Amino acid sequence: MAMNMPEGYLETRLIDPFEIHVGPVYEKGGKGAKRYALRVDDRHVNRRGVVHGGMCLTFADAALGQAAWDATDHAPSVTLNMQAQFLRGAVLGDLIQVKPELVRQTRALLFIRGDFTVQGETVFLVQSLWKLLGES
Amino acid sequence: MNQSTAQRLPADAENISAVGYNRHAGPFYRLAKDADDLGGRFAFIVQPKHLNNVGNIHGGLLMTFADVAMSRTARLAAGVESCNTVSLTVDFVGPGELGDLVVAQVRVTRRTRTLVFQTASIAIDERVITVATGLWKIG
Repeated sequence: MAMNMPEGYLETRLIDPFEIHVGPVYEKGGKGAKRYALRVDDRHVNRRGVVHGGMCLTFADAALGQAAWDATDHAPSVTLNMQAQFLRGAVLGDLIQVKPELVRQTRALLFIRGDFTVQGETVFLVQSLWKLLGES
Repeated sequence: MNQSTAQRLPADAENISAVGYNRHAGPFYRLAKDADDLGGRFAFIVQPKHLNNVGNIHGGLLMTFADVAMSRTARLAAGVESCNTVSLTVDFVGPGELGDLVVAQVRVTRRTRTLVFQTASIAIDERVITVATGLWKIG
């Protein structure tokens, strides 16, 4: 997979079996300014060669979940809600990138959004809500 | 799919995971239609690959299942070959685990000339684990 690795990116260490099944995902940059990337391959697309909405959402869950993990110095959290808008399709071979943004953090909740882009154009937008485990 | 898995799905369940991501993430099944034909029922059985690291169904897989079930229902409701997801909102209400039979009930709220509005309730034995709302563009 090294030839598919985008420049400057390192492979993210995924631990969820479903993310490992659909990955790899890549990352670069420091804490609070990380970018994540997914190279669209033939496991990610529909019969028209367009990336599947479910794959977009899974990448979003993985990337924004990594951002939650980073923001909390590795506190476990679960996805409560995700809202996505799909603006245009990404196709086989595209590199989808996102720089997750922590909008707000409370004692129990994290609000995280992301613009997912291909070559600078937004492909889909996601807003998400995460629950920190162990906080009522 | 092993035999015990097959036996838990209705005999007329149709595998709708033929190609690409749908096949890689699935298999997902369409169940026989109810008398109310403005909607559809779909199912899958949780496999090891569908889980997160604490043994619950991964949120990405649940969103995938919602999108697969609702996109298929949009195409059937619109009578067209292709519909595109424009927006999808998903609430994760509760967990599911390995071996569970997960069923989605999709309802068409409204269909216009160009759009299909839908909701879906995803449950394990009547216990709702996920609810989804979305908008599909016809064609």
